[in-house]
Amino acid sequence: MAGKIKRHLNEIISSVSNNNVILQNTTRTKLILKGLDPNNFNDNSEDDPVVLAKVLAFAKDFNVKLSD
Amino acid sequence: MSVQAVYSTNKSVKDAVKELANKIDIQNPKLILFFASSNYQPTELSSEFKNTFKSSEVIGCTTAGEIVSGKMLSNSVVAMVFDKATIGDLKVEVIENLRQNPDVDPAFKNFEIHFGESMGEMDYQKYLGLVLIDGLSGSEEKLMEMIGTRSNLNFVGGSAGDDLKFKQTFVFANGKSYTNAAVLVLLKPLADFDIIKTQSFAVMKDKFTATKVDVEKREVIEFNNMPAIEAYSKAVAKTTENASTEFMTYPFGVMVGDEPFVRSPQQVSGKGIKFYCNIVEGTELTLLRSGDIVEETKNVLAKKIAEVKKISGLINFNCILRTLELQNKNQTEAYGKLFEDIPTIGFSTYGEEYIGHINQTAVMVVFK
Repeated sequence: MAGKIKRHLNEIISSVSNNNVILQNTTRTKLILKGLDPNNFNDNSEDDPVVLAKVLAFAKDFNVKLSD
Repeated sequence: MSVQAVYSTNKSVKDAVKELANKIDIQNPKLILFFASSNYQPTELSSEFKNTFKSSEVIGCTTAGEIVSGKMLSNSVVAMVFDKATIGDLKVEVIENLRQNPDVDPAFKNFEIHFGESMGEMDYQKYLGLVLIDGLSGSEEKLMEMIGTRSNLNFVGGSAGDDLKFKQTFVFANGKSYTNAAVLVLLKPLADFDIIKTQSFAVMKDKFTATKVDVEKREVIEFNNMPAIEAYSKAVAKTTENASTEFMTYPFGVMVGDEPFVRSPQQVSGKGIKFYCNIVEGTELTLLRSGDIVEETKNVLAKKIAEVKKISGLINFNCILRTLELQNKNQTEAYGKLFEDIPTIGFSTYGEEYIGHINQTAVMVVFK
């Protein structure tokens, strides 16, 4: 399976920023400083369970409910 | 709207605060923000400030050097005074026990009660947070992460210093002094405001992935699967024994687009490198090379002034490593002069806070 990491990171950015462009950039920066750069993932990125666990933890930190 | 920057080099706490009070023209200030050398007795200093300015909110911290319009100082106290037309409303909160259990939730709850708005709904263009934190607590990253995951507001500030003694730093709020603590202030300014983040580095080609780290100790054990100091030495063309002489000139950056968030090496630890802020395992870092701090800051300020026409007040959280570099290059006078025509206060920090915890950077709050 692939693409879940990118999808979840996008969900976090979209939810936290409420689609405000400035806040999208700030949220992206927060994710990078926490150790995951959304630009390093795309729809074909493998669903690495270690990275996915990080993303789920980030979603919890940001209080974002992911779609699946 | 009025903002005033004042300073005193008087060594006596009482006389220094009295001198500041005599210099202040603003009646019943809304907020007094002060930065003071750790050579002042901290408890006495905080208490004297509050006793002198009873009707104002008074916050501050100790430093590793002070900045005021036109000057870089040491062994002094600098203060910025804000009138009610500049800061419409504010709430001061203190977070204690940072090392053991940093928790922003009670402070955030009090902000919500005070302003009658949830933190999630507050507009980042209308509210601004200031954060002053014990610079020896090692807890800046945790605190800033908590702030950043619970709010979209900008909290900007610095880690308190102690004149390079590295023994104890203090933050101050309304007459009390605290260590192992942070002061959070949420401002609702009536004046427009902006944030400048600036660092003077060229971005090099060398990339390093932190493949083994000890986050709690702020230590990178391995870069690119080799001992960290070996990887660094190769890049800066030094032996492992003398590579640390290049730490200030060649730090690292976590790149966000073209913008580095600087991570400065502190010391060699075995074959690893200890940093002034933590680095998460897997993070890619880029080597940076220091440039001309004065020239770069001059350009950034000129650009901002061209944009906003007039700056009515500026708070400069300037990294102690930048101050040391300025001293080494005999440029402190030139740096101070950049702020000559702007009501400015600031201090040499043990770390800067903006989105996260950063090093070798100046983070400035600008009131228009």
